[in-house]
Amino acid sequence: MSGDRKSPLDGNLVKVVFPLLVILAPLGLSVIGAVSAGDPGAEEPFLELPPEPNEGCVRDAEFMRFHHWELLREVRDQVVRGGGRHEISLDRCRSCHPSRERFCSRCHEAVSLQPDCFGCHYYPADPAAAVDHARAGR
Amino acid sequence: MDRRKFLKTGGRFLAATPFACDLLVASVASASGPGAGRWGMVIDLRRCPEGCDACVKACRRENNVAEHGDPRWDVHWIRQVEIRPHGQEDAPTRTVPLLCNHCERPPCAQVCPVRATYQRDDGIVIVDHHRCIGCRYCLIACPYNARFFNYRENEAWPNKDYPKRSHGVAESCHLCAHRLDQGRLPACMEACRDAGAGAIVVGDLDNPESEISRLIAANSVKRIREDLGTGPKVHYIGL
Amino acid sequence: MEILYQPLDGRSRGYYALLTVLLAFVAAGFAATFYLVVHGLHNSGMTNRIPWGLQIVMAIFYIGLSAGSLVVSGLYGIFGKLEYKPFARLAAFLAMLFLVAGLLSIVTDQGRIDRVFVEPFSHVNPSSMFSINPALYMGHIMICIFYLWALFKEKGRLTKVASVVVVLWALCVHTGTGAIFAFTPRELYNTALLPPSFVAAALSSGAALMIIVLTSLFRVTKRHLDMALVIWLGRLLAVFIVVALYVILIENAHRFYQIESREATTYYLFKGYHAWLFWGGLIGVGSVVPAVLLFRRRTGTSVRWIVFASALVVVGVVCERYLIVLPGLEYPPELLPGMEIVRSALDEGIVAYVISPLEILQALGVLSLIGFIFVLGLKYLPLLPTEARAHGESQMLKHLIAEAKAESAEKATGSSV
Ligand code: SF4
Ligand code: SF4
Repeated sequence: MSGDRKSPLDGNLVKVVFPLLVILAPLGLSVIGAVSAGDPGAEEPFLELPPEPNEGCVRDAEFMRFHHWELLREVRDQVVRGGGRHEISLDRCRSCHPSRERFCSRCHEAVSLQPDCFGCHYYPADPAAAVDHARAGR
Repeated sequence: MDRRKFLKTGGRFLAATPFACDLLVASVASASGPGAGRWGMVIDLRRCPEGCDACVKACRRENNVAEHGDPRWDVHWIRQVEIRPHGQEDAPTRTVPLLCNHCERPPCAQVCPVRATYQRDDGIVIVDHHRCIGCRYCLIACPYNARFFNYRENEAWPNKDYPKRSHGVAESCHLCAHRLDQGRLPACMEACRDAGAGAIVVGDLDNPESEISRLIAANSVKRIREDLGTGPKVHYIGL
Repeated sequence: MEILYQPLDGRSRGYYALLTVLLAFVAAGFAATFYLVVHGLHNSGMTNRIPWGLQIVMAIFYIGLSAGSLVVSGLYGIFGKLEYKPFARLAAFLAMLFLVAGLLSIVTDQGRIDRVFVEPFSHVNPSSMFSINPALYMGHIMICIFYLWALFKEKGRLTKVASVVVVLWALCVHTGTGAIFAFTPRELYNTALLPPSFVAAALSSGAALMIIVLTSLFRVTKRHLDMALVIWLGRLLAVFIVVALYVILIENAHRFYQIESREATTYYLFKGYHAWLFWGGLIGVGSVVPAVLLFRRRTGTSVRWIVFASALVVVGVVCERYLIVLPGLEYPPELLPGMEIVRSALDEGIVAYVISPLEILQALGVLSLIGFIFVLGLKYLPLLPTEARAHGESQMLKHLIAEAKAESAEKATGSSV
């Protein structure tokens, strides 16, 4: 029994280290990338803000910047599961931030996020389209 | 209705509360006022004109229901089938619209592993598309073939006020819950009225005064496969 | 008697070639899954009328295989058959891998794989068999790992307890898997006999696969495997086949006798390609032929024939799994009794499922993945015994050895083909 208990890894440092390196290298690179991307010298994405920023927004800018997705998700669940869908909608966001391209996407791109909200919910990339929609709509 | 203003009020409401979500529950509970009853549908087949498909078209337009031109993957929240008595080749055919029956005891909701399909308090069976994992168990369980799966991405988006669905989630008729919540009529019923037929009536089954209850009381109605015990809530007159 | 375990050396060219081939298949399966996830499931053979296809067939096939492997493993733990102790570790390891494969097949079949690891954990629906089963599978994998650990550490009592628990749990797992189908209101699914027939077929397929794996493994690695052991396993398999056949026949007779499901059963048993799969694949090739082969004195004591019969059983059970899933979907539910649907935007009649290449790649990928882990396990885990000898612990076996010896001697003199 004891004969085969010897670990096959013994004395095979190279064999262990090399695959580990292969596995860990991309991870390390991405960490380095993330750290360097997050350095304060990097440019902040330019977001197109409404003329009176934060006037009548549901929360203050700081909260929205870091937690808007949590708020959206929670409100979404309550509205979808609880009913009253018509009361809360992305339309409200759109009334102040008409351009998805110049507001949402810039930031999402800067932090390389691809939320899939807009695949199904209407939020035009370009406000011109929104105007068209409003004119054509009800 | 001034949608924008309505939303603004909702927004203020949100802004004013540090824990908007908790309060939202209360507001939602009161908001589902029309949902206090039990929604059902009557389809009076005697009033369906020959060759009319207003309801099907209206549903597609309202709910962005996918149509790819291939029967394998087309989604139909309401579909028309032509039937004739079994084995009678030359009998005249009749057209019957089939849709989700919003079963009293829905097998689809029973089997959904994540409770994406659920029954609202007002009896509407609805899918939470944010949660559906696309297991298609509900398609298996629905005995009416009323459930469909988005096998491909839906490109058409006629009604921007209502979301479309990504590929990989299941869906079926939700009795235009978004419109009912707003106090509007379902799209198919509206279209049927506008077409001058008025064959589809959606209303509160619990209220004996409602049009639908009176129709059910006055006519002999039939529901599809009542023997299965699912308690379908779509009633047919003249089937 | 002490059993020595000697892992594979794993330095030969063949070993690495095998690993490479398996990895290539895994990569292909991964690519196929990725394609389906990104572009939508319409690239598979599934449609709105046939929402489940090959992946579900394979999932329940794998899960069935794991039960049979566990029974072989439990021969030592539960029944105290010391002669079968050398196989216990291998069998338990395979059982665990097959469960992983079943779970993987189901996961790769979902429309929104991105949510599979989130939603089912945060929202459980206790009335859904699809919600209960993953919990059962996960638990099963855990218990298997514990059982394996007990086997590796040679914990005598603990092994016994663990093997009883694991087999009981396996029974729940398989009943639950059968219930996925049995608890839905489809005509061909809705039968309480489905879970038992599922378990019965699971036992026979698993035992058959263990026979194939054990004999080929011992032969390839040039280790000694006593013929009597295989012969006895063959007898066990024969019993399993008969039980499975019995349940399947009763199930279908019942379905056929019931007036409301007679039409559907007629379609399933006598029309279309299902008839071939049922009578030819499941009953003929998968049950009757191997049962006869195993019960006959001459073929039942020859390892080669036993392996052949086992392969037939595996084929038969694949057919059986296919027949569980697909005919019930291909045959339409009766929407309007007494009416026939002339025209509809949906295919309302009998439709056929066409397996797409992508699904085949997916299935091969899952199979190769567990094959890959298995081959690695042979090298890095003490799974493979140096030899497996029948040492006449029980009267039954002594008798069998003598019988087999006489038989082979007879054959050696009788026919020299
Ligand atoms: S008709 Fe089908 S989809 Fe609609 S509630 Fe009943 S089972 Fe569910
Ligand atoms: S496909 Fe979606 S809605 Fe249907 S059972 Fe699965 S998770 Fe639920």
